Amino acid sequence: MATDIQISIVGSAGDGTIAAGEILRSALAGMGYKVISFDVYPPEIRGFGKCIARMRITTEQAYSLKNKSDVLISLDDSHAIPHAGEVRECGAVIYERGSIVQLPEGGHISAHIGPGQLPYPVPIRELSEKSTGANRSRNIVVLGFLAGLLSLPAEAFRKAIGRKFKSKAAAAEASEAAFKAGLDLAAQTFKLDDVMFGPPVSTVVAGATVEMINGNAAVVRGALDAGIDTFFGYPITPATSIMERLASEMPKRGARLLQTEDEISAISATIGAGFAGARAATSTSGPGLALMAEMLGLGVIAEVPSVVFVSQRGGPSTGMPTKTEQSDLHMAVYGGHGDAPRIVIAPTNVDGCYRCGGKAFEMAEAYQTPVIVLLDLYLSNRYETVVFPSRPPFEADCNRKPGKLQAGEQYKRFALTGDLISPRAIPGEKGGMHVITGLEHNELGRPNDQAQMHEAMSRKRHEKLKAALRHPDFTHYKRFGDEGQVDVGLISWGSTFGECLEAMYKARGEGIRCAAMKVVMLSPFPTHGVAAFMNDCKQVLVPELNYQGQFANLLQAHVAKPVTRLNRVPGEPMKVEDILEEIRRLAGRGKTAQKAA
Amino acid sequence: MAETAKSARHHVVVGSGVAGFQAAETLRERDPDSRITILTLSRLLFYKRYDLPKVFRGSRDWREFLVHPAEFYRDRRIGMRRASHVANVDSRRKVITLDHKEEIRFDTLLVASGGRAYLPEELAEFRPLMHNFGSYEDAITMAKALPERGHAIMLGGDMIGLDLARTLIDTQHRVTLVAGPHTFWPHEVGESERPALVATLEKMGIEVIEGADTGGIASIEQGARGFSARRVLFKDGTEIAGDVVMPFFGLMPSVEFMLGSGVDIERGLLVSPGLRTTDESIYAAGDVCQIWSDAERRYRFYYGWKNVRAMGDLAARNITGSSDPWVPAQDEKLHISGDGRIQSPFWEYE
Amino acid sequence: MGDIKPVYLEEKLREVEESGRLDYRSKTLPTWCPGCGYFSIVEAVAASLCELNIPNENAVMVSGIGCSSRFPFFVNTYGFHTLHGRALPVATGVKTANDALTVVAVGGDGDGFAIGGGHVPHAARRNVDITYLLFDNGIYGLTKGQTSPTSAIGFRTPTSPYDNPDRPLNPLMMLLSYGASWVGQAYAGRPDHLHKMITQAMSHRGFSYLHILSPCVTFDKTHRTYSNLGVQVRDLPADHDPSDRLAALREAMHDETPALGLYFREERPTLGDALDGLVEKAGGEVAAKATAKPARKARR
Repeated sequence: MATDIQISIVGSAGDGTIAAGEILRSALAGMGYKVISFDVYPPEIRGFGKCIARMRITTEQAYSLKNKSDVLISLDDSHAIPHAGEVRECGAVIYERGSIVQLPEGGHISAHIGPGQLPYPVPIRELSEKSTGANRSRNIVVLGFLAGLLSLPAEAFRKAIGRKFKSKAAAAEASEAAFKAGLDLAAQTFKLDDVMFGPPVSTVVAGATVEMINGNAAVVRGALDAGIDTFFGYPITPATSIMERLASEMPKRGARLLQTEDEISAISATIGAGFAGARAATSTSGPGLALMAEMLGLGVIAEVPSVVFVSQRGGPSTGMPTKTEQSDLHMAVYGGHGDAPRIVIAPTNVDGCYRCGGKAFEMAEAYQTPVIVLLDLYLSNRYETVVFPSRPPFEADCNRKPGKLQAGEQYKRFALTGDLISPRAIPGEKGGMHVITGLEHNELGRPNDQAQMHEAMSRKRHEKLKAALRHPDFTHYKRFGDEGQVDVGLISWGSTFGECLEAMYKARGEGIRCAAMKVVMLSPFPTHGVAAFMNDCKQVLVPELNYQGQFANLLQAHVAKPVTRLNRVPGEPMKVEDILEEIRRLAGRGKTAQKAA
Repeated sequence: MAETAKSARHHVVVGSGVAGFQAAETLRERDPDSRITILTLSRLLFYKRYDLPKVFRGSRDWREFLVHPAEFYRDRRIGMRRASHVANVDSRRKVITLDHKEEIRFDTLLVASGGRAYLPEELAEFRPLMHNFGSYEDAITMAKALPERGHAIMLGGDMIGLDLARTLIDTQHRVTLVAGPHTFWPHEVGESERPALVATLEKMGIEVIEGADTGGIASIEQGARGFSARRVLFKDGTEIAGDVVMPFFGLMPSVEFMLGSGVDIERGLLVSPGLRTTDESIYAAGDVCQIWSDAERRYRFYYGWKNVRAMGDLAARNITGSSDPWVPAQDEKLHISGDGRIQSPFWEYE
Repeated sequence: MGDIKPVYLEEKLREVEESGRLDYRSKTLPTWCPGCGYFSIVEAVAASLCELNIPNENAVMVSGIGCSSRFPFFVNTYGFHTLHGRALPVATGVKTANDALTVVAVGGDGDGFAIGGGHVPHAARRNVDITYLLFDNGIYGLTKGQTSPTSAIGFRTPTSPYDNPDRPLNPLMMLLSYGASWVGQAYAGRPDHLHKMITQAMSHRGFSYLHILSPCVTFDKTHRTYSNLGVQVRDLPADHDPSDRLAALREAMHDETPALGLYFREERPTLGDALDGLVEKAGGEVAAKATAKPARKARR
């Protein structure tokens, strides 16, 4: 039996919602399921903000979260009540049976459980207090109950709890007792058997490791595997966890991380370190990227390698710091003054975050330019099971080094070579002394604003990036679904591609000839491959999470064939059903046509 | 819930059995703008409890027992508060308190909480070793415990139990009935009629042990491993072994939550022929109420599916403006049919 | 006054050539106005690099934008002419990537204390092991003479046609309180002293800040002129104790008569030391410092 179950845990900050999600994910991934997950944190640090841990557990690869959950666990009714409607028909709602305060009508989640949903009241607090002497383990009690309800092996949970509390013996012991209390109650509870797990399918290749990891952590893993030397950053939601994780991991490998005074300093130091030969990176979100725009332009003209991890959030300005959006594409690709071409890559899933996280350093070195890796809050915080190869799939050094200088010859840092990529000397190298500058310059790097020179150097900076479209072992774009001519073709980028794939496969199930293409490399744009795909499509649909259709704009600048845009800005992932509805419409299948079929 | 305006009348029904569900349906027809909320202990929507013996004919999925799908409740705006325990009813403030401390205000309240299986005190200590059959969950649990061609021991009897016994026999199980005064409950069977009825049961294939009812049972024990799961030991030293032991001693009205409400209670809630309790905004219907009978000059229970449904309908009509009196919907006589089978009007349902 | 010895040009040239200082000068001629104080700074830096025997390839000049920031083009080392105000963070990045490099950040008063003012305290408090040469002419020269954060009250420029109303900053006091571990002041009009101070600053392990007063001969004819500065500057008192931060602050307060010399110096762990400490705490391996050439590499 194939498994496809989505579980949402909703609570208040301090309820241990996210921790419960972590343990659940870790246990399920340990059993061999594929898990894709997205947590929502409150903007407030402490207090009563809403936390959601939401995950989809499957035996086959899933590409997005479902609109409806199969199980909702409420650790705080006031936050969970608005989500009761997200539980599917015959789905389960697990909630606190009692209350310590008087409630008005509707104040308890049981008032909001729809007639088709199955209520599972549990004395969560009471079980926590009885088993541990405190009410802090309510999150673990519900995990025990869930494990029992779904007949999942308790051992996997015990191991996951052990991993979570490996350095806190008391917490581990309390969690163990709380887990057992929940599990025992489930054993005495009649199960309506609607949410069922089938056996997991193991896909682990020999030597590889499988981990449950989110987009930010995957980017970090990629950066570490690519040998990141220095990192300079400034905290900003939702990119902060990239920096936090690097802060703990980099020193273990002799690498250096510094929290700077602002984003301008972060990118400046990154470019300084890149100039000095380091694999250097910074991370930020839209507001920080805006501050970095000028320095990135310097990176472009001075041809210095640097990597910027950007996790987008709702904008403009401070916007919606804890909501997801894909509205920084224009800025990533075009931002800043002057003709400043740069490389922008946007992974579409967590595995892609790992690959882009490492490949970005190769590209920055190989093409001597800033590389922006564009994530979004959803992808940053979304957990998926990722299979890591036994050896990092990244090259250690992609620099083009200058050969020995002939006597009397002057080193030309910006030599106009055949492919327009110039050999780069690095401070410390004898005979390679040169000055790089943000001024337009000649091959030596000396300021020069002659018309011919500006033409030649502008061309150099743009055309050298063409090579990036053939960067080895990198998926620049990829087609899924039906081969050959199709009625509807989807093109999308970033996290939204997961929803597109899901919708595309559903549409095919309804008999619509359909395909989807993800575009990972946004700049330079892989026009050839994308145009070829569009030629195969009667209709092209471009779903993305921004109002302007920023990717569609980019696409239309390169390929003239008209596309249909699907733009949403709800601050959360796009709904698969919305995309599917649009596919049906484009395929000439209205609602009635579909029902008849 | 709460789709209608706050000013609309709020009809609350406690219980989602035949009476409660029928009442909600009638209330919706007659008072389209009102708010209707059903409070029920059950975790399922209204289902065919009378059909539960079908679990032995292969029907195990709870959805097969539902009378209506979820849309029915959504379309009719009938709120279903399932897994809800009513802790108290305050008739003066017109407030129901659920056991999780949520307060629900009502304009009219219909109590249709039915009855639950009665267990004589002598057998209370053996409860963990026995199986009930009162709900879907009970039925599935019991069905899982009874192997194919397994042996069920029924204590007491009653028409619910006998109905189950018919199905068990038909599905190649063995049934032993430890008979007693409750065997034909709620039919009142005279001493003279009994032997013929018992003989009919035996003809059906039920093994009947007479005269060893509650008083004759010494204990119920778990069977030894590898043998039958249960043993019933009698005071006379004899014993029988089976796979499940099921008590069937009739129903007891579920009225505990009404004790603080101020309405009059005897065994059940005492109601007028119009099904109103002693509080003008509280009505009762079904197995939970005793209706004043002018003819018999006493409050009495009426059983059977048709009666219970008629009570639900009548209560709802009277809540919404009528003032009709109770008229029983079915007779109460037990028959032995021409082909020698036992026939109870209480087994007739749609 | 003793005998005055005649100085012959050839002798002087031979002396300069033999000193090796010319190896540190690039073939690019400075673009500064004739008479600009900055000429003596580039000469002094070349002399100090030479004196300290720093291989050309191991020195990196990082500058921002402004007249002074053209500096890297005029020395024969690695150089990075960055953005307005960003010399310090870029220099921090260079040094963090490779401890073996001698990193000198240069910039003007506008670059350092207006647009780039936010970076100065952090480079100072972190004790980044770089030298910051601040060329203070009290004016924006490159854009043709507007007021800067160190312009005097009453200074008349095209952007302050009714005189500058703003009080000038006191960079020395700022740096002393920011926690710079080496703070000194020199004057472009005293090249020998300037050279000594630059050598000392570059020898210091940690963040060394040298404030260099210089006139803008083209756009400031009234305030910070050679003649005015020549009168105003004085030496720090002979008994000034450079380990006494309060004494340094007291001296720095008298900005109407700027005192030249070493105000403050302390030995304390640099940013590099601190980052190595983190590596040790985390159980990692610290990259060998002496051989960090061409750049340190993290373990993959």
